[in-house]
Amino acid sequence: MKFLKLFKNSQVFKLALGVAILVVCYFGSKFFSQMQKLTSTLELIAKSNDTQLELEKLLSIINSYDYSLRNYIITNDESYLQNRFLNRGIIEEGIKKLKVLTVNDPLRKKDILTLEKLINYRFKLFRETLIAAKSNNVDQLGLKLKLKRSNDYTEMMKLFVYKVINSERLKAKFQNSNHQFELQDSLMTAFLLIILSLLILLLSFNKTNIDIEALKEANDKLKLLNESFNTAEKTAGFGHWMVNLETNTYTFSDNLYRLMGVEPNAFEPNLENTIKYFHPDDLEYVTKVHRESLINHQSTSIVFRFLTATNEVRYIMGVGSFTKDGNGDLIKIGVNYDITNQYKKTLELEENNKELKYINTELESFNNIVSHDLQEPLRKIQMFISRLEEKEFDVLSQQGRDYFSKVRVAANRMQTLLIDLVNYSRTVKGDKVFVETDLNKMITETLIDLSINVEEKNAVIQIGKLPTIKAIPFQIKQLFINLVSNSLNYSQETQIPKISITSEIITEEEASEYKIINKEDYYKIVVADNGIGFKQEYAEKIFLLFKRLETDPKYSGTGLGLAICSRIVDNHNGFIWAKSQPNEGAKFSIFLPKVDMV
Amino acid sequence: MIAHKDPMHILLADDDEDDRAFFSEAIMELKMDNKLTLFTNGNGLMDYLVLPDIKLPHILFLDLNMPGKTGIECLKEIRANTRFKDVSVAIYSTSSSEKDIEDTFIEGANIYIKKPNDFSALKKVIKEVINMNWQFHTSGLNIETFFFSI
Repeated sequence: MKFLKLFKNSQVFKLALGVAILVVCYFGSKFFSQMQKLTSTLELIAKSNDTQLELEKLLSIINSYDYSLRNYIITNDESYLQNRFLNRGIIEEGIKKLKVLTVNDPLRKKDILTLEKLINYRFKLFRETLIAAKSNNVDQLGLKLKLKRSNDYTEMMKLFVYKVINSERLKAKFQNSNHQFELQDSLMTAFLLIILSLLILLLSFNKTNIDIEALKEANDKLKLLNESFNTAEKTAGFGHWMVNLETNTYTFSDNLYRLMGVEPNAFEPNLENTIKYFHPDDLEYVTKVHRESLINHQSTSIVFRFLTATNEVRYIMGVGSFTKDGNGDLIKIGVNYDITNQYKKTLELEENNKELKYINTELESFNNIVSHDLQEPLRKIQMFISRLEEKEFDVLSQQGRDYFSKVRVAANRMQTLLIDLVNYSRTVKGDKVFVETDLNKMITETLIDLSINVEEKNAVIQIGKLPTIKAIPFQIKQLFINLVSNSLNYSQETQIPKISITSEIITEEEASEYKIINKEDYYKIVVADNGIGFKQEYAEKIFLLFKRLETDPKYSGTGLGLAICSRIVDNHNGFIWAKSQPNEGAKFSIFLPKVDMV
Repeated sequence: MIAHKDPMHILLADDDEDDRAFFSEAIMELKMDNKLTLFTNGNGLMDYLVLPDIKLPHILFLDLNMPGKTGIECLKEIRANTRFKDVSVAIYSTSSSEKDIEDTFIEGANIYIKKPNDFSALKKVIKEVINMNWQFHTSGLNIETFFFSI
């Protein structure tokens, strides 16, 4: 996110820099054109000055020519005339110069042409005057007239030249003020240029500084990240490596070296140097998978062994996948994970599992022995007892009959015990199939099974409406059989046994006792009787295996019945709770979850 | 189907000598006009049944755990042969495991009797089974009524 922001910033900055450079270029070119203009203005001023100077010069030559002529006329001295051709040459030259100077000024050019004509005419006048003066009979009046005309013409020429000079002066003055203004303008531009350049320089410097700071910060973070990653790898038993497919260069993480049992960067990272750390049995497979993946660019996932520098075998889970780096080069990144502990634990578990299975089989065969092989001879004993009882009982002595009765009771008791043991082992076994079970049907079947016992005791059974739940049917039936048998067994001799099986609402007290958060989640089935009961302090002991409260032989019991009940309720993720007082009957509450929570 | 005037022909296949003795004593004491033939194993039983000129039994009491052909193997062979379609098969075993009950029910036995541990109970069972209206019993047969409870 931050990098993105920085990138965006630098984009904005680039744009700003571009604009600034454009502005600088604009001002620069403006400054350049101003400078050029300034130069041309200066040139114009210089030309104007030259023009003026040249004009003055022309005028003075004309004047001096005029004086020379007059001096000659007065003194008749020929020497005054000796420079007259020279002067004419200078004037020609001056005119030529003026023509060059005024080449860009059409108005002035015209002035110069006019001036040239005026000068030519003036020289014509000079010549006529000179001719008039040199003739032998001087026409004094004509000469005077000529001189006067020459004089007037000169004056007129002077006026013209001064007019031109004045106009040149005005022009120069105007150019000068222009020059002043342009100079200021150029100064301003130059100043702005410098300020702007400085600004850009400062901004660039500042930006570079900020960028460097950010880069430094990012670098620091990266370093920290790298460090924590290294630590994480070390702690978690990971190591990673990379290979650039274009350059075929490998990079190994520190912990990858450690996984091979060497110090970080102990050797140059490449496949050849690593080979000796692969377990010899796995080497071919690992290199084959790796090399194939470099060709088909498919992800890899393998388990192999490192034989470390210290000759320790390490089980490694290696996964590799392909990606592209910043330069667009294809690279393979691999992560190697030390699974030695997991592997060993799995082995151990497998071993334990085998043992458990064996024990289970043993238990199964034990169950078979109990349920079939032990019952078989017992049944025979009982059969023979019944045969003897029927046929030979009368011939026995009284004591013999007593002994015989005891044999029969003992055999019957052994049978009950065997049946209970089988039932108990069936509740421990694993095949627990939960199906929709109608408890009403279960209790009906129970009462059919127990009908002889119920009749024998003249018991009154009251059944309420019971729910249908997800349960293991034969276990639920066993539960009811055991609870009802229990109630019948421990009935009071003086009372007709009354047993009720009902569904009840869970009380607050029970909810808190069993940490039931939502009372709606459980069914509560109650089996209550008016039997001999027991002290409440034994309420938990009665569910223990082979734990019997009554030792009086008139109460038959194996000590397994309620233990089976407890197991069955446990199998259904429920609870069973007994409440009783001696001679006040017992109440067994069974809590069964409504939803299958297995 | 069964002519009551005819003496009932009953077969018992059981490898246990004592059980065979109890069974024949019980039949004898019941004083019913029955003909009982005993077999000590499944092979003997099947060898007898395939004889062409025998009079087919009315009821066969079949033990499950026997050396050689087991009870369930005999049952399968009998039910695979239409010649024996009128023979009622009563399983007579010490086992009362759900698996045995279910398997024999599926294979077409008519009733399952767990060997009693009292002689008078044995007599009662045999009497009831012999006098049973098989047609009625078989038409309403399900896994619950299949297991004979005394």
